[in-house]
Amino acid sequence: MSVYRQLATRLLGHDSLFVRRTFGGIHPPAFKQHSLRSRIMDTPIPAQLHIPLNTTQRESLSMLVAIGERVRKYQKLAEVSLGDDHGTSLPVHAPTSGVMRALALAPVADHESSEQLCLTLEADGRDEAIALRPEANAAIERLSGAEIQVRIRDAGILGMGGAGFPTAVKIESGNGFGVELLIINCAECEPYISADEALIRERAEHVVAGAELLRRACSARRLVIAIEDSKNDAIAALRQALESETVLETRCELIVIPAKYPAGSERQLIECLTGVEVPSAEYPTGSGILVQNCGTAHASYEAVVLGRPCISRITTLCGEALLTPKNFEVLLGSSIDFLFGLCGLKQADLSRSVLGGSLMGRELASTESVVCKTTNCLIAAGRGELPAAPAEQACIRCGFCADVCPARLLPQQLLAHCKTGDSIELIEHGLLDCIECGACDYICPSHIPLVSAFKDSKLSIDERQRDRQRSKYWQNRFQFRQYRIKKDKEQSLASRAEARKSSLEPIEQAASEAAADGAGGFSKEQASREIAAAVARVKARRGASSSDKDESK
Amino acid sequence: MIRSATGAPFQHSGNNISSLMLSVAFALLPGIFVSTWFFGFGILINIAVALVFALVAEALVLLLRRKDIAPQLSDGSALLSALLFAIAVPPGSPWWLLAIGIVFAIVVAKHLYGGLGQNPFNPAMCGYAMLLLAYPLEMTGWHVPSEAILGPLAVDGLGVPSAEPAREILNPLSLGAFKQSLLLAFPFAASNPSELGEFIDGLALATPLIEFKMAGQSALLAARESGNSLFARDSETAWELVNIAYLLGGLYLLFKRIISWHIPVAIIATVLGLSALFYSPGGAAVYGTPYLHLFGSATMIGAFFIATDPVSAATTRSGKIYYGIIIGVAIYSIRVWGSYLDSIAFAVLFGNFCAPLLDHYCRPRIFGHPTRTTTNREPAEP
Repeated sequence: MSVYRQLATRLLGHDSLFVRRTFGGIHPPAFKQHSLRSRIMDTPIPAQLHIPLNTTQRESLSMLVAIGERVRKYQKLAEVSLGDDHGTSLPVHAPTSGVMRALALAPVADHESSEQLCLTLEADGRDEAIALRPEANAAIERLSGAEIQVRIRDAGILGMGGAGFPTAVKIESGNGFGVELLIINCAECEPYISADEALIRERAEHVVAGAELLRRACSARRLVIAIEDSKNDAIAALRQALESETVLETRCELIVIPAKYPAGSERQLIECLTGVEVPSAEYPTGSGILVQNCGTAHASYEAVVLGRPCISRITTLCGEALLTPKNFEVLLGSSIDFLFGLCGLKQADLSRSVLGGSLMGRELASTESVVCKTTNCLIAAGRGELPAAPAEQACIRCGFCADVCPARLLPQQLLAHCKTGDSIELIEHGLLDCIECGACDYICPSHIPLVSAFKDSKLSIDERQRDRQRSKYWQNRFQFRQYRIKKDKEQSLASRAEARKSSLEPIEQAASEAAADGAGGFSKEQASREIAAAVARVKARRGASSSDKDESK
Repeated sequence: MIRSATGAPFQHSGNNISSLMLSVAFALLPGIFVSTWFFGFGILINIAVALVFALVAEALVLLLRRKDIAPQLSDGSALLSALLFAIAVPPGSPWWLLAIGIVFAIVVAKHLYGGLGQNPFNPAMCGYAMLLLAYPLEMTGWHVPSEAILGPLAVDGLGVPSAEPAREILNPLSLGAFKQSLLLAFPFAASNPSELGEFIDGLALATPLIEFKMAGQSALLAARESGNSLFARDSETAWELVNIAYLLGGLYLLFKRIISWHIPVAIIATVLGLSALFYSPGGAAVYGTPYLHLFGSATMIGAFFIATDPVSAATTRSGKIYYGIIIGVAIYSIRVWGSYLDSIAFAVLFGNFCAPLLDHYCRPRIFGHPTRTTTNREPAEP
């Protein structure tokens, strides 16, 4: 380590100045300070919960409770099959005690889907829980990776960062490749979201212990926690947790990276920490790297050490339309209306409600949506806070977008190709490598909705490829049909020939037998006699038929 | 195209085209100020005339194209084109020359190609080049009332080289000089036609580089030895200061990250390199010193303001470097071996020609791809 690096570490408290710089990125105002003013709060128990089941198909559910049945907190309600090849399923647990009322589609604050099947639970407010069985420290030290993985699955843990990939499946996917490095992603670079920061600030020890458990589960050799240099409190908390090491023995490294959006994007984070550029068409596991979110690490800690299934998550509630923005430990299935109400929503000021951050979030159609395992942030935007984009102007090719694109794309060129719809040129220019971070939109002086255009083009390329596959499929089917008809015809011809042949066969056989018989005492006289007899027979038959004809005349 | 329901991102940096354009216009101010200081009001009259015609032409074309006039007129692009054009055209040019040039720039070079963002060539330079081809005589003189400085300095009544009283009387910013400039711009206003003819010859003054090229080393040396300054020291200083002012404006743009360093640095480095390479102090003279090439002509405004017009320039980083090198080579070679006096316009237009090709071949390596060309090509249409 150079002298300068040591000096910087001493002066700044971290050495993020010396971490590898990744390309592009922006520095938008973060707006996290408001929600970080208070500690994480528990919500009161809402009267009704719509527990999202992470699926829209009833077939993929196997219910463990009946409608009308009383359930207790932590009780397993259903197993949801993920529809993958391994037949993996994830359980869903009751966030509180009460009576099951219904199973129906309901709006969900999820990044991928706007509606999911939800179980309606009428809470009784008594919060009666099944007794949890915490593990003793010594027992945890002895747990094997596979056992940890099973417990993580049994707790129903999904990636808490937003993508919502089942954690156990992700660990499993790494096992085939042999994971060298596990990165715990605490970057949380997107504006407004502060759930991870709040979590680390208050429960750093649990996050570190969860990280260590995840490392053991995927048997990675190296464990790195990555955090942005702007999160001073969280860095201090992590430092302290790493020094104290009360929960689990770990050799976890803390790497502080320069704050910039999108530093927390998986591939960009990996490049920043290791210098490895994960190849375009591959997953990081192919490079021996696995990335898990710090919320996932925390949930894993709770699942493995406390035996507590995933029934709540930390969600940031922020925006100018809220009087007291804060981070809540939210029971899954709580409605957004309820949460906004807890933060003092000024209904008149609410211009739009957004799920996620301001750059990659999704506008929620209704505030009746419910919190699911991936709901990291809910913004109640005030008037003029996240305004609708002004009218789009012409692209002046200033190239700002190319300067900020973390994937080193040329959005200005892509846009031109989007307009012509030239899919080959679009793919050539790397449209499929766009991570949709929105940095180009953010910086564009012409207010062009670039990401929307790229998403649309991706969809239409997908559509076209599917069309092509479909037409290829039907073409194949048609060709096969033609082939089959042709073959049937040939076959029927052949079988008819066969049939004729087989009807002749006895005669031939007889002939050959006769020949074989005659082979013993074959004589010309016998042959000529037989021929003469046959001729006479034919003549006699002819004579008979002609006399028949005469009679008929 | 299907429109997605989600409209992320919701946050914006607050950048907009008009503030970009106005920042560039702002960065031109020091240069304009210094030019006015030394060369009088000609440049300001140029700007005023060009601005009026640019905005009127833009509004009319937008009207014809059935576009919203207010938002596009206020994006500042016509204003910036007019500014750059007015600075390029010699001060003291008649109003009709400016009008023809800027209307050509706005209507033909910009809107006939589809308006802002669609024009393959820099409109201001198109207008300038068109004038240079159509009206070479009007375009080659640099009419400034510097006679007001030069004459009396050389023939000071008492033979005392005192700058103070000379400036006092013959300042280019004086009312007399202003009147001269106005008469040059609007010749129809002259009460007496002979009044005009007199100072047109007297005021023609080229840039030092042009003088250098025209005169040749021996003449220059002879003039220096005889105590005469062939290309008035004051004029040379003026050009230096004008260029330094534009350099400052350009540095401001760099600092504000409105332009990237690639194009100006490539142009300046190329011009510097070529002029240093070919410069031979004892040789046959037409080449000029590197310093003269950088600060004795329009190199700075060309490098920072004209070549960096994003619409017509190359857009990738490496493409910008090649684009700058191409323009630098063109600037130098047209100046030294070509038959045109100054070369920014043709050099930039030549660079514009190359820009689409450069953009096609100078794409950056996409993240996660081993080479510059993406490998996962979609299967071609059957």
